[in-house]
Amino acid sequence: MPQLVPFYFINQVTFGFATLLIMLYLFSKYILPKFLELFLVRLFITKL
Amino acid sequence: MTYTYIQSPLEQFEINSLMGINAPLFGYAELSLTNIGLYFILAFLVIVGFNVIASNNNKIIANKYSITQESLYTTILNMVETQIASPKGQYYFPFIYCLFMLVLVGNFIGMVPYSFAITSHLIFTLAVSMTILIAVTIIGFSEHGLKFFSYFVPAGTPLALVPLLVLIELISYIAKGLSLGIRLGANIMAGHMLTKIIGGFIYQIMAASPLMFVIGIIPLVLLVGITGLELAIAFIQAYVFAILTCSYIKDSLDLH
Repeated sequence: MPQLVPFYFINQVTFGFATLLIMLYLFSKYILPKFLELFLVRLFITKL
Repeated sequence: MTYTYIQSPLEQFEINSLMGINAPLFGYAELSLTNIGLYFILAFLVIVGFNVIASNNNKIIANKYSITQESLYTTILNMVETQIASPKGQYYFPFIYCLFMLVLVGNFIGMVPYSFAITSHLIFTLAVSMTILIAVTIIGFSEHGLKFFSYFVPAGTPLALVPLLVLIELISYIAKGLSLGIRLGANIMAGHMLTKIIGGFIYQIMAASPLMFVIGIIPLVLLVGITGLELAIAFIQAYVFAILTCSYIKDSLDLH
């Protein structure tokens, strides 16, 4: 199988983890809190 | 004499270096952007771009993009809340969200013809799943200390059977991590190979004669159906990957 060529193991794992970690930082720090804030504002307007 | 050129169905998974530098400073390491790297970057840009567009400039009234994103948000939040009932469960929400989105978008990008399926690469999926297993073990030890070992001894086990059961439980614990990665990689790889092989057969049938071209429409319709099924599998596998990760985190937070 071409997936199991050891020469590219480090390359694909590095790209995969780099993508996942950068995403995790951006989402937990900036993007997801914005959505939570939005939900809270809606809750405040409609229910409270 | 006619020659028939048949491409291997595995050819689509080949990793090629698109551009790179040879770095003598780092022991002649090949630092290259490969096609899998390019598709990881593409998936990253799609996910972040979609989420930024869906934020809708923080307007309270949702547009069509934010409705989609908010549905995904609540789906994953519900999954995390129902699976990890522990009060610490929501700490893991951003991680599960990122994992789900990366696998989902990776699967969907792979479904575009002539593109590349990043999640069909067993090394990547296994690396992620084994990292999750190691992380879950660390969480278990940090939460429960040495009591975490009780995870390997089911309640009510007779003392004589403990050594055997510990061995079996240990093997099943490691198999959890392996199966998580192999399930995703094998499903996506099998789907892509199936569509490629059937597509190749249909091309051969339809290229034979005008009559066969008409007859070939029947398997072509079936192939369209299979592609639809693959789209469903792309979503289901992302969901299964995320839900099982939640379940493993829950197991280490609340020992049985």
